[in-house]
Amino acid sequence: MASLETDVLVIGGGATGAGVAWDAALRGFDVILVDRADLAEGTSGRFHGLLHSGGRYVVKDPVAAEECVAENAVLRRIVADCIEDTGGLFVVTPDDDPAYGDDFMEGCRKTALPAEEIGVDAALRMEPRLNPGITRAFTVPDASIDVWKTVWSLARGAQQHGARILTYHRVIDLHVEGDAVTGARLRNERTGEELDVAAGFTLNASGAWAAQIVRMAGIEGVGVIPGKGIMIAMNHRLVNTVINRCTLPADGDILVPIRTVSVIGTTDHQAADPDDIPPTQVEVDAMLDDGERLVPGFREARALRVWAGVRPLFQDEKAGGSEAIDTRDVSRTHAVVDHVARDGIGRLLTMSGGKLTTLRLMAQDLVDAMCRQLGDERPCMTETEIPPGNEDGEHYAIGSRLRAREKTMQDEQLICECELIGRSKLEETMRRRETTILDDIRRSLRLGMGPCQGGFCIYRATGIEHGLDGIDAATASESLRDFLQERWKGMWPILYGDQLRQARLDDWIFQGLLDVEHLP
Amino acid sequence: VIVVVGTGLAGLVAAVKLAEGGERVVVLAKGVGATHLSPCTIDVLGYAPDRVARPLDAVADLADDHPYAIVGRDAIVSAAAWWRDSMGFAGSLDENLLLPTAVGALKPSALVPGTMAAGAGPDPVCVVGFRALKDFHAALLADNLGRAGIDARSVELDLRPEGRVDANSLAFARAFDDRVFRDAVVRALSPRDGERVAFPAVLGVDGSAWADVQERLGRPVFEVPTLPPSVPGMRVAKALRERLRRAGGRVLLNNVVVGAERAGERVSALRVRVGLREVAYAADWVVLATGGFASGGLELDSRWQPREVALGLPVSGVPADQRFVSEYFAEHPMGRAGVTVGPDLRPEGHENVLVAGATLAGAQPWKEKSGDGISLATGHRAAELILEARGTAAPSPGAPTTSPAETR
Repeated sequence: MASLETDVLVIGGGATGAGVAWDAALRGFDVILVDRADLAEGTSGRFHGLLHSGGRYVVKDPVAAEECVAENAVLRRIVADCIEDTGGLFVVTPDDDPAYGDDFMEGCRKTALPAEEIGVDAALRMEPRLNPGITRAFTVPDASIDVWKTVWSLARGAQQHGARILTYHRVIDLHVEGDAVTGARLRNERTGEELDVAAGFTLNASGAWAAQIVRMAGIEGVGVIPGKGIMIAMNHRLVNTVINRCTLPADGDILVPIRTVSVIGTTDHQAADPDDIPPTQVEVDAMLDDGERLVPGFREARALRVWAGVRPLFQDEKAGGSEAIDTRDVSRTHAVVDHVARDGIGRLLTMSGGKLTTLRLMAQDLVDAMCRQLGDERPCMTETEIPPGNEDGEHYAIGSRLRAREKTMQDEQLICECELIGRSKLEETMRRRETTILDDIRRSLRLGMGPCQGGFCIYRATGIEHGLDGIDAATASESLRDFLQERWKGMWPILYGDQLRQARLDDWIFQGLLDVEHLP
Repeated sequence: VIVVVGTGLAGLVAAVKLAEGGERVVVLAKGVGATHLSPCTIDVLGYAPDRVARPLDAVADLADDHPYAIVGRDAIVSAAAWWRDSMGFAGSLDENLLLPTAVGALKPSALVPGTMAAGAGPDPVCVVGFRALKDFHAALLADNLGRAGIDARSVELDLRPEGRVDANSLAFARAFDDRVFRDAVVRALSPRDGERVAFPAVLGVDGSAWADVQERLGRPVFEVPTLPPSVPGMRVAKALRERLRRAGGRVLLNNVVVGAERAGERVSALRVRVGLREVAYAADWVVLATGGFASGGLELDSRWQPREVALGLPVSGVPADQRFVSEYFAEHPMGRAGVTVGPDLRPEGHENVLVAGATLAGAQPWKEKSGDGISLATGHRAAELILEARGTAAPSPGAPTTSPAETR
């Protein structure tokens, strides 16, 4: 069996894990990052895209709010290109108590969050589709953040400092010698081959799956509560500013404009299994009603897709309380689980809780804790170091892809019209990522994420993939079928209106015209 | 006057049949029909759910509410004969032809244009593609044919319509109408003995380049449908509209039927939105062929309520929840949704309205590969039923007999 050695094994290739790999690599550690699937395929890739100002938490969870205030400013600086500076509004809808606005402003003052009350007229001028019945409005420095770009930037930065990234490698066992974890056994999910990693230290950044990981070292009862939340992507930017309902956190209270769509979220229910979280019709119906409250006519707009993510909320049994709880009341702050103190197991730390906005701070806290255990204190550098792709410090602007595209309009084929992906970029990405999984390409390029949900580009991408060296027709056809299924997964629970019409056109193409179902 | 609503395959078939039968016909439609998306092979029944070898026989086993069961075997035979003879298609209802699709699957079709007929059979194939045509990938087609046991190779040419690196099927079809472009294609190819030559379905806007290319290559040549726009579909639409015009019928686009004026169970006029105003068209008979959910004839709103958009006819087959299942290629609970009709294609309570095509309930057109066959059979049958009724009944006094009149 093949084996690898490293200083630090990071388990989980989401935002936290990528941040940890970047942080540890910058401090000069040799790092291996593993994930059972692609980077940012779990919780990180299934959120609404909100870079929190902290306003959501100022009343109920001030510690989380303060962390957001600080980290929002840091991320804007270090991953500028991944962020669109949309700004945010908190609005009091006709269903909300206007007095909460005073609590909100008081909370902002205490947490040093730069918020300002503006007139309702001014808010409606900013966002004409907003419910005209709102009674108060407050500006905050919310933004939207492209999570795939962020994670890949951090991962590439880590690689440039020597880190190795193993996607599609599932941890199937942790090696325990005496009272310490000494590494892990991995299985390559594509080839089935197994691989041992000997690690000086293991950092568990697997989020909602953290309890499953440490159970492999015989550690029980780590209280990660999978908190399920659904989100719906609407076909257009119904708003250009992040809109928050100014009330205690509730379902469907955030609408985030990101890239060419807007995403409404979210719900919060305890899930039994982080891998089994299908959105239900009741949740979809409720979310559409929530959207209607923020933007009247929401139900007439075109819904592209629905998905659910699973938050890694933390409530430790050894800290008391294992009965069913309202996951909304669990703090959004994070904590490092010290398995020496808790379980008598060394060289292993688990990150629990947290949220995307504080990913850098979470990584710093985890690596700091590791350094302390190792007695090898090295300063954290992530507050100032810029990971690749963000060097010019400019924020992403809507329309930048079109602007770039217009220069090559006459020279290159456009493969995905919805997301403006040219042929050379697609081929280059397929080669660089060495993957035949079109869903991996989607996360890199947004292939198939537009209104037609792949109706036209899936066939084209399959043909182009097949043209690359060494990709046979059987593999390409399998990619086609898998990606069709992957796109369908997020469409079927929310097919109505124009998107149903689109889906039937896609059926026409893939079943009526191409008969993909009956390929050999 | 007879008003046909919709200008897809079902609507055009009904209109042509009626006009050629001597009726005054006007076709009202929102836009050009689904013919421009469809390959326009007449797939009668390909899967039920296993692959069907003999479509006419297999039709007998369909459920009672399937459109084919409603019109009956004789109507299907009659429609197919009419189509074959008048449209110059090959094939029959007795045996499906297996034609390669652009991804290299073998799809069962009953009647196919002459330009595609050589696609059936076991002989070796040389698939010709074009680098500039992203909607047709020759190597993928050829290699998947190879996996199905047909000896196939591919050639990709870098010939560009008007020098464009990104051109769709219609642009290529126009290029093929240019002798210079055709010469360049033929010169670039050297088919082997015993080989058939497959092209994307772009051999001329009206298909006339196909015969020339075949003759000059000296080998059987066939077209394979591409992603939309569909050149063969446009040819069918053009041919049918030309026949309609010659028989005195008219097509009025941008005319959106939004309701009806009724007298008892009869529709006396259709309310039609034209631009910003609404007008009424008097109608003795109405053939509703507006399509299903794909074409906009049927809609589902965000509270999961279905609607037939032109006349508000009841839509059946949409469950209150679980309308679809998570497996894409599975049978979906609302896969057969549509308007329910009686044996005479009339919805309940409608004396002079007949429904044809994808608006009808009871079929899963893409899964079964039956969509075009249903449109042909029900469109043709609707026309037959009206012609029969008009031939036997005396014209009712006072019924409008002038050309469609704007009454408001």
